Amino acid sequence: MTPDAATRARLHALLEKSPTEALPRDQLIEFLHRIQDACAHLPTSLLTALAAEMKLPLAEVVEVASFYHHFDLVPGADAAPPPTTLRVCTSLACAMHGAEELAERLAGQFGPEVRVQRVPCVGRCAGAPVAVSGQKPLERASPASILAVLASGQTTDPAPPARRLADYRAAGGYDLYKACLRGERSRSEVIDSLDHASLRGLGGAGFPTGRKWRLVAAQPAPRHLAINIDEGEPGTFKDRHYLEREPHAFLEGALIAAWAVGLENIWIYLRDEYAACRRLLTEELAALAAAFPAAPTIELRRGAGAYICGDESAMIESIEGKRGMPRLRPPYIAEVGLFGRPTLAHNMETLHWVPEILRRGPEWFAGQGRHGRQGLRSFSVSGRVARPGVHLAPAGITLNELIAEYCGGMAHGHTLYGYFPGGASGGILPASLADLPLDFDTLQAHGCFIGSAAIVVFSQHDSARRLAQNAMEFFAHESCGQCTPCRVGTRVSAALMQAPVWDAERLDALARVMHDASICGLGQAAPNPTRSVLRHFPQEVE
Amino acid sequence: MTRFFLDQREVDAQPGESILQAAQRHGVELPHLCHKDGLQPEGNCRACVVEIEGERVLAPACCRTPHAGMVVNAQGERAQSARRSVLELLLAEAPAAGGELARWARAADARVAHFALSPAPVDPDAMPDRSHPAIVFNAAACILCTRCLRACRDEQANDVIGLGGRGRIIFDAGVALGASSCVACGECVAACPTGALTEKSGATLAPAADIERIASLCPYCGVGCQLTYRVAANAIVGVDGRNGPANAGRLCVKGRFGYDYARHPGRLTTPLIRRAGVAKDATLAGTVDDWRQQFREASWDEALDFAVCGWQAVRRDFGDQALAGFGSAKGSNEEAYLFQKLIRLGFGNHNVDHCTRLCHASSVAALLEGLGSGAVSNPVRDVDHADVIIVIGANPTVNHPVAASFMKNAARRGARLIVIDPRMTDLARDASHILQFTPDTDVLLLNALLHVIVFDKLTNETFVKERVDGFDAAFIDNLRAYAPEAVAATVGVPAQTLRTVAHLYASAGSAIIFWGMGVSQHTHGTDNVRCLIALALLTGQIGRPGTGLHPLRGQNNVQGASDAGLIPMMLPDYQRVADAAVRARFAGHWGAPLADVPGLTVTEILDAAAAGTLRGMYVLGENPAMSDPDLNHARMALARLDHLVVQDIFLTETAALADVILPASSFAEKDGSFTNTDRTVQLGRAALAPPGEARQDLQIIEALARRLGLDWHYGSPAAVFTEMRQVMSSLAGISWQRLQQEGAVTYPCRHDDDPGEPVIFRENFPTANGRGRIFPVAFRPAAEIPDADYPWVLITGRLLEHWHTGSMTRRARVLDALEPEPYVNLHPDDLAELGLGERGMLRLSTRRGELTAAARADAGLPRRTAFMPFCYGEAAANLLTNPALDPQGKIPEFKYCAVRVAAAG
Repeated sequence: MTPDAATRARLHALLEKSPTEALPRDQLIEFLHRIQDACAHLPTSLLTALAAEMKLPLAEVVEVASFYHHFDLVPGADAAPPPTTLRVCTSLACAMHGAEELAERLAGQFGPEVRVQRVPCVGRCAGAPVAVSGQKPLERASPASILAVLASGQTTDPAPPARRLADYRAAGGYDLYKACLRGERSRSEVIDSLDHASLRGLGGAGFPTGRKWRLVAAQPAPRHLAINIDEGEPGTFKDRHYLEREPHAFLEGALIAAWAVGLENIWIYLRDEYAACRRLLTEELAALAAAFPAAPTIELRRGAGAYICGDESAMIESIEGKRGMPRLRPPYIAEVGLFGRPTLAHNMETLHWVPEILRRGPEWFAGQGRHGRQGLRSFSVSGRVARPGVHLAPAGITLNELIAEYCGGMAHGHTLYGYFPGGASGGILPASLADLPLDFDTLQAHGCFIGSAAIVVFSQHDSARRLAQNAMEFFAHESCGQCTPCRVGTRVSAALMQAPVWDAERLDALARVMHDASICGLGQAAPNPTRSVLRHFPQEVE
Repeated sequence: MTRFFLDQREVDAQPGESILQAAQRHGVELPHLCHKDGLQPEGNCRACVVEIEGERVLAPACCRTPHAGMVVNAQGERAQSARRSVLELLLAEAPAAGGELARWARAADARVAHFALSPAPVDPDAMPDRSHPAIVFNAAACILCTRCLRACRDEQANDVIGLGGRGRIIFDAGVALGASSCVACGECVAACPTGALTEKSGATLAPAADIERIASLCPYCGVGCQLTYRVAANAIVGVDGRNGPANAGRLCVKGRFGYDYARHPGRLTTPLIRRAGVAKDATLAGTVDDWRQQFREASWDEALDFAVCGWQAVRRDFGDQALAGFGSAKGSNEEAYLFQKLIRLGFGNHNVDHCTRLCHASSVAALLEGLGSGAVSNPVRDVDHADVIIVIGANPTVNHPVAASFMKNAARRGARLIVIDPRMTDLARDASHILQFTPDTDVLLLNALLHVIVFDKLTNETFVKERVDGFDAAFIDNLRAYAPEAVAATVGVPAQTLRTVAHLYASAGSAIIFWGMGVSQHTHGTDNVRCLIALALLTGQIGRPGTGLHPLRGQNNVQGASDAGLIPMMLPDYQRVADAAVRARFAGHWGAPLADVPGLTVTEILDAAAAGTLRGMYVLGENPAMSDPDLNHARMALARLDHLVVQDIFLTETAALADVILPASSFAEKDGSFTNTDRTVQLGRAALAPPGEARQDLQIIEALARRLGLDWHYGSPAAVFTEMRQVMSSLAGISWQRLQQEGAVTYPCRHDDDPGEPVIFRENFPTANGRGRIFPVAFRPAAEIPDADYPWVLITGRLLEHWHTGSMTRRARVLDALEPEPYVNLHPDDLAELGLGERGMLRLSTRRGELTAAARADAGLPRRTAFMPFCYGEAAANLLTNPALDPQGKIPEFKYCAVRVAAAG
């Protein structure tokens, strides 16, 4: 199984590495992207050569490659997939907007050049239904618009028109970071400000930011920062929203965190679906490194199609070039994280607010909020509302208020029937509970959580059980396969949920074992929509 | 000791103990599947979850250590119901699973169909993967606990099994097991809790009650793995690894799957006598297959009488020096001891030798000369304490697979592994430095390392001053010509690499050197080892844990056979025949005088036979008609003998040239002690009765001895061993009873309470003055250098699946199925130049013989170099090899001769 010279030469050309250059283990996924981008699949010959050059077992390379949905492993060149992949999102909002029918209609349309794949949420729910041709997303997709894009040969988007480094700096950007470096702010003062602002982790867990910074700072150096832009929770697209407009806000926040906590290196983990943002970030990171040569290095890593990598420990595994399987905790990643070092992990949006909070003062942020809650939340609203999109609104706002004040009311012809307050995993609430304050800690009593504030609104034309089934199938597809309750439980649940009348006893037993015994949040939260339907929409399944 | 609460009971946990282990110790059995002692905990099956007060969700007991005051609720409804659901989910996922899952499921009242998936996740009609000769994989029984993966990757470091996609077991890139790089160590089968990976023989399915379990040893290599035979109806049906000091439960393909040769239909079951008038055919044409044309059956009495009368006739007609014996490194210590005693007393000479002559004779010569002892200084598993590990001229992944697994483990833990070999072997993947040098330039390379150590002042001055002789002007002057820059081009290794490696070795906290036949089987084999000894002595890398010199011994008992005196110039415990005092002492013990001239070595004996000066032989369990160099000559010599007695279990190539054949016992049919490469003495125990009229070897030796006039009545291996202890001080503290109790004792072991010494030379060396000695060594080329007629280099050796001449392994079903036919390895570019692809036929010719075999590409070989395993009778590599000898060790140059390679036909 020794690779021949020609294959090795081809590999080195694809990787843009000389044969003597080291191929670091943690960059395995980057290398696989190079091969996949060039060949539209991963030929076994190149994987064998890659394994040999990296001194890795072939099985280890293949187990990583086969974990991620965006890599196509084929046994032989004759089984190579078509050069163009057309992905049709079939997650919640897109499903409501006819994604299944769209995929159905597209299926017979193409010859051997194009394949149609049903894929989970691509992070553009406000534009449902969404299709992606190659790396070019197409919102409000129709067969006609898709055919037009395919005919045009466009397979990618340019970088979005964001505020670039020069403009950001002209408006005072990075002044705060420089002030920190000059000692005009103290570390403890900065961290105290985050406490006073009540800034919490906006990826979904809501852990108090200042406390997290202190925890990591107390750990031995070297310490690292990992920034999560894997935004994969169906219904969530706020990170992309900010990234496409103001990429330097979170980067300045990251540099301030690195300064305040004492972090040596920074990794950004960006989901593969955000190809245009990747282009933007690559350019801006180069510009930033040139502007602040003494700042910690920032490495951009590209996801490869794995919702589970939104879990911070799975993300860390993926940054290390491994299968994105969540780690058992303890130890927590604040103690043993990236490359075995204490790690501060943050959702991008959390860092996005840091400079502004420090500039305007914690009271500004904490002063926002309704119904006794504090701060601002970036609601990704999709589904049956007139104006879906990211709406920055006070924490604690109710759904009825959000729809009325920010979303232009319900979409024409639709009456509120229910909503997902926190993406696919946050459970489902009925219209009768649309006056609850939406925030961390406010929905537990109703079997739900706000998570990343992805609000998917549905109406009398939709079915809660169908949406719950959609969610469970998504979890079954995205389970990393590591632990029994999640790997098997999601599949068994999805199968049981196909019955016209649900077997409540079995589904409840499954929900309990998944919640109680799964390793990570995916499996623990996966039964939420099912339980919500049994609790709030029983008429649909009895 | 940590106090915590388990189900309202205050209990203690040992340091490092998991909740699972502590609970087990306190009588609370929690189901567990992904956990297996010795493997890294994974916590993926979730079958052992418990409730810990203050925690939101349940926790896997196998992965959590109790802290003081922790409140664990293991038997509560929440935890119990979760555990039962987990088991029910696994039953749904793996409907074909049995074993531990079935047992835990029954114990937990789990309902098989509660979560049954329809359709089943793995198509139940899908055929299990039966592509491998030894192992079956049935995905429908797989619960993805990854025990097999951890056994394959973390434990054996074979790296074949992976976890693919979102949960499926893959082999390599996802190919069938039979098409994968699996080396069939079987550790995955041993690790699997559900029967997803099983032995193809189906042995594991036999009802446990009918199976007897016999604690014994592996009969193959010098690692000395302990194992358990599973026996039913007087046949071995399976083998399990046992937790011995050398193997920690691990086995390789030979040990685990190579057990059925003992019941091969070709087993000799009656004594055979050559038919009158049937000449011996040195070409062996067709004779090995059917013995009836050449031999007739005989009674034991007739055969034994015939054997002894023949010898007596030779001795009468041609004198005391006309007889010789080859003992075996496959036999027990007791057999070796009695065999050499028979030759020395019954034949009246010291013409007794065995295959150590062909493997480490040069190593032993150099070690005795330099250190006063031919044995290893440290056990293999001292790699755990080594910072630097040098492996030179050895391919342990093939020849000492379980030892190699510990080396790979050490390298993956961070030890620097330096592989020095003309062939890039499998071990190279774990190496920090690979020195792929030009064959035959060993001394240039090693002298270059010594040059750097001496001239870069890397010597350990204190150690040299206190413990080393010979570090003088002559030694230093000799090294001047071997600067790395001066030899780099010839050696084929960059000078800087040589310098780096010399520095690494010399400055390491602890560094150990392993070597094999690649070092010893040269006409400069002794010189090669002298250089290795100088490396260790000058740097002081010897006499401490993780340091030292370890010649990897080949046969399971080559160490013990040598210790017991199967050596023509040595009596037991390496006491020299030439020493009159030694002879007098043994004569006193044995009650008979001893000849005063040392005997002939293996190759000298065959030369004497060819010349007609040696006329009769006793060969026990050796196969010189396959294992000796220049086989045409060796077979001719054996065929010329007036009287050849062969004692073996099969009609080997050597037995085909015999006058009388005595059917003996296979390893698993007898009790005996065996000494592995680590100097550890262990007990092999009989698991089977010999078939037909075949007899125990010890009985046969004793019967022959009595007919030779020796009044022997040992009766048991224990009695022989007891005598050995009296004449061998190394074994003085090891009683048979102690062996039976402890299973393994490492010598030197001087008295009953001596725990034995795994690491020797701590204070001094067993030389006259207690100091080691180094010698300057000059480079000499091999005896036969490639030229216009024979332009390539031939290297011979072994392969994983077959042992030595293949007499056992070619008759083991799985092993022969894995490697059924002879082949020659060439560099792929050479293969392309010859216009051949994989499996194309090659013709190899040397000045001594020729053969044809299929080609295989091996990019790890240098160009214009052929490698060939010597186990295949149908294309015996030793027809080609050069009998030129190392002057000190008398070992032939198996590792280098000139050969012509061409496409056949």
